[in-house]
Amino acid sequence: MSVKVHVHATHRQFTNGLEVVDVQGNTVGECLDHLIEQFPGMEKALFAKKDKLHNIVEVYLNHASAHPNELVKPVKDGDEIHLVIMLAGG
Amino acid sequence: MLTLSERERYDRQIMIREIGQEGQERLKRARVAIAGTGGLGSPIAIYLSAAGIGMIRVIDHDQVTLSNLNRQILHWEEDIGRKKVDSARTKLRNLNSGVEIEAIEETITENNVSQLVDGCDVIVDAMDNLPTRYVLNRCAIERNIPFFYGAVSGFEGRVMTIIPRESACLRCMYRGPVSEEKFPVIGVTPAVIGCIQATEVIKYLLGVGKLLTNRLLIYDGLKIAFSEFTVNKNPNCDHCGPPLTPSLSPSGERGG
Repeated sequence: MSVKVHVHATHRQFTNGLEVVDVQGNTVGECLDHLIEQFPGMEKALFAKKDKLHNIVEVYLNHASAHPNELVKPVKDGDEIHLVIMLAGG
Repeated sequence: MLTLSERERYDRQIMIREIGQEGQERLKRARVAIAGTGGLGSPIAIYLSAAGIGMIRVIDHDQVTLSNLNRQILHWEEDIGRKKVDSARTKLRNLNSGVEIEAIEETITENNVSQLVDGCDVIVDAMDNLPTRYVLNRCAIERNIPFFYGAVSGFEGRVMTIIPRESACLRCMYRGPVSEEKFPVIGVTPAVIGCIQATEVIKYLLGVGKLLTNRLLIYDGLKIAFSEFTVNKNPNCDHCGPPLTPSLSPSGERGG
């Protein structure tokens, strides 16, 4: 059981530069918990508080938006999670 | 009808099978509102003018500053201190005198947005902040005007096309307010994103190709890589909900 998490460029400072991290879990939330277990710096980058992602963090599961309630979305072996940042510039 | 001069001017694009003389006439009849004449608005306005859009309305409340010039290619050193819409109008008229340019110096608000886009076939997002994008998004949905979203930061950008009543809107992705911060950017990033937005506008006006509806395109300039993500209408979206079709399940995913 392995899920790949694609880390946003601005967050790779917390993953030793890794773009993709292998994680375990049955839901998106569990996968992110496992990501944070491996790279604790990701917690502040992703979460405003427990179980509440920052508003600018978007989660895509297998290239489709997981919003809303992204953390409880189930995942299966081979799934891919992309962590993306909402942009505001123009 | 196209004039002889227009036929010559647009010869190379009239040669494109998807455009032809009829398509060029469609572009000539089109009226486009561009919200913002900065990093995104510059390439959008330049390429839509060059393509022969009939009327372009540029809306911006700002004045040109030195720090704009790394990316806002409509504005030059001689324009510092000038209203951006005046600077934009001068350049666009010099580029293509056949395009009617309406320059409106206004701050876009919930109160004036509907009037600002009145009479336009499409609204192009070239804003530098999220709150005004949501104002434009809501207005586009209420008035049933296609909305072409684009945004940038650093070497990264994103684009999505919103066809009201049909596709997911910008607000469908809304997760709550975000703090406004000065964003980093290098001019080539809004150049790429703005040109994709302009391409989408042209395709929509011509009725050709496959639009970026329900498809969020993310550009990574550091890798020169594009990723595409599916965004479905959120049935609880406070702009485009409630769901218009029973096929949308409460989770926001396509049912059946």
